[in-house]
Amino acid sequence: MGEAILEARGVKRTYAFGSVGVPVLLGTDLVVAEGEWLAVLGSSGSGKSTLLHLLGGLDRPDAGGGEIRFMGTPIAVTNSRALDVYRNRDIGFVFQFYHLLPELTVLENAMLPAMIGGWTGLASARRRDAEAHARTLLDSFGLSQRLAHQPGQLSGGERQRVAIARALVNKPRVLLADEPTGNLDAHTGTGILELLAARHASGLTMVMVTHDPEVAARATRVVRLVGGRVE
Amino acid sequence: MYAALLSNRYLTSRLIPFIAIGAVGLCVALVVTVVSVMTGFLDMLKDSGRLIVGDVIVTSGLGGIPYGDELVTELRQHPDVQGATPLIDTIGLLRMPYPHGPQKEVSHVQVWAVDPTSLATVTDFANDLYWRPAADSAAAEAMAPEDPRRTLDGTLLEDGKRLAQASSGRPGIALGMHVSVGNARQSDGSYLPRYGWFMPGHDVTLTVVPVSGQGTIAEPREQVFPVVNEVQTGVYEVDRNRVFIPLAEGQRLLRLDEAWLYDLTAEPDADGNYPVIGRTPARVTKVLVRGRSGVNADELKREVGAVYAKFAERIEGDPARTARAPSFVNILTWNEQLRDLITPVEKEREMMRVLFSLIYIVCAGLILSIFWAIVVEKTRDIGILRAVGASRLGVMWIFLRYGLVIGVVGSGIGVLLAWIIVRNINAIHLAIGSDAPSGAWIGAYVVAGGCGVGLLRAAIKGRLLSILLWLLGMLVFALAATLLMLHKGTLIWDPSVYYFTIIPDRVDWTTAWTTALGGVLFSVIGAAIPASKAADIDPVEALHYG
Repeated sequence: MGEAILEARGVKRTYAFGSVGVPVLLGTDLVVAEGEWLAVLGSSGSGKSTLLHLLGGLDRPDAGGGEIRFMGTPIAVTNSRALDVYRNRDIGFVFQFYHLLPELTVLENAMLPAMIGGWTGLASARRRDAEAHARTLLDSFGLSQRLAHQPGQLSGGERQRVAIARALVNKPRVLLADEPTGNLDAHTGTGILELLAARHASGLTMVMVTHDPEVAARATRVVRLVGGRVE
Repeated sequence: MYAALLSNRYLTSRLIPFIAIGAVGLCVALVVTVVSVMTGFLDMLKDSGRLIVGDVIVTSGLGGIPYGDELVTELRQHPDVQGATPLIDTIGLLRMPYPHGPQKEVSHVQVWAVDPTSLATVTDFANDLYWRPAADSAAAEAMAPEDPRRTLDGTLLEDGKRLAQASSGRPGIALGMHVSVGNARQSDGSYLPRYGWFMPGHDVTLTVVPVSGQGTIAEPREQVFPVVNEVQTGVYEVDRNRVFIPLAEGQRLLRLDEAWLYDLTAEPDADGNYPVIGRTPARVTKVLVRGRSGVNADELKREVGAVYAKFAERIEGDPARTARAPSFVNILTWNEQLRDLITPVEKEREMMRVLFSLIYIVCAGLILSIFWAIVVEKTRDIGILRAVGASRLGVMWIFLRYGLVIGVVGSGIGVLLAWIIVRNINAIHLAIGSDAPSGAWIGAYVVAGGCGVGLLRAAIKGRLLSILLWLLGMLVFALAATLLMLHKGTLIWDPSVYYFTIIPDRVDWTTAWTTALGGVLFSVIGAAIPASKAADIDPVEALHYG
């Protein structure tokens, strides 16, 4: 296994519901090594998704509640722009409910992170490369005939494959997957896991949260999130 | 790049942005149309005013300016002056030839006693004479069959230009077009005689009251004049009140003509006559001056003042003169002279501009509410965008750009719509002033019937929205058809209210572009609040939304 690429150190996260604070993570420590496929197993409400959001820079730990490090450096929680770039270039997200934009075509959805990166200064040649990469990914996921279709015209499995292509288009160092098969039937879910396994085999670091032990079993390492801490 | 893509997709994938574009377009069209017409009206007022009174007006007190002909000659010699004309401006009573019978109608009028030839070099008097032969046979054919101009020779025109009736050799009077009730304005702006009173050729009696320089009133004097023509300046206030008579007749009636001076302190001769000691010169109360092309009115006013000062000094220093030029005369530019007419219109225009611009706030509010709804609807999309690296400003820009596009497209449509309306406003007015063609209301009833069929089908299917829309369509078209059927022509642009007989049809482009800019600005302002809300959405909460 390689060097640590992503780390959570004593991370705490409490959600406020009115005047009531509900602690979800109570000082979670987690180290993700480069090239590993880590599964975080936990029951519903255990804080799996929260941990994933924190690792991906979508959410921030409580004040004084630990830190997230990427390649040894704390992700800049006080610098919004740096976090945007982190999410855009270093991390890829895959969600349970795909979260594709309904107004965009399959190709445009897959291209979206590249377009956002382009907006922040990506050179046009790199943009062309990104489009070529998106086409290649979609082609390798069996979606070459669906490029101009809209998400509403696709099956659940196809939508998740588009979502994975979107997550990979900027060639991130880490893929964060939140119950990627949770909304799919067993057969389609297996197909998605095969696809993720193939990406992992080619060197991609993956963190996948799931409540399904069978799904978690596909990972190279499994940790459990219980009582707001990793066991 | 993604902001442009998403803005365009949000714009074209739903109906509501087109409603916003329509709202912005209508607001802009309304402001541009109203202000353009008001500005055109003001420009016409100024242009017409200048053509009616010249560039600079010299006005004396009641005693008038003696040796006015010399002053006019000296003014004409000035290099900045194109023409100058003397006149007397007073008020009078005009006894009309109608109705039949002993009782006649009497109108109070503004009397201008003028030298018609020189007046034509300063004002548009000769061109304003209405009764003239048609320019050519095509123009004659275009006139109504009962229009007297179809059969006129040039006699009335020539009589009008000279203010004299050639056939009788009598001095004549030209009436403003609306002084007599005998002229009926048609919807195309032409006039036809009504009640059988075609005024040229009829006699009218003008009564004026001579007033001395000290303000004492003498016996009223009257004279019968044949009407030789009528004058249409296009400014209703003038056409309703003003009559023109020859200068010499005005001077005589008002006792401002040349006269013998007697020494009343001496003993009269055997016949009771006092000894003659000289002659008083004829007087005028106004001199109108037209500047050469390119000469500014204010500049000309200064030059005219200098000429008058030299003239007054020369008269003063000449012991042979029996009268002195008044030491003070009022010299005004046309703009200053017509201030009472122009200033209220300018204020009205600005008030209209401000009042109509308040519509922008409604427009911004509409865009705000539409965008707010879109942002709420797109909350999860915003979360997705943030998850894949979109910045808060990037999200904000999607909606600001969206508002910008709505503002630009809406304002562009508004300016185009205003241009079409303003350019065709007289044709539209003419159509409103005429009976609706039967095809229009029959067609509207047919469409209403079609909507009725749609309503029945929707009712059978039980679709409430369709039922409502078809019902509304049917009611709107049925109402429009009924209104068109009952419409018998309405004169909206009443010249007695709006001074002019045609509606200005030029777009005020300065207003158009500033209004369009305002439309864009308020659209962006309307979009800014929802855009800021979108930027503030927490991405984690957004991903769980819905």
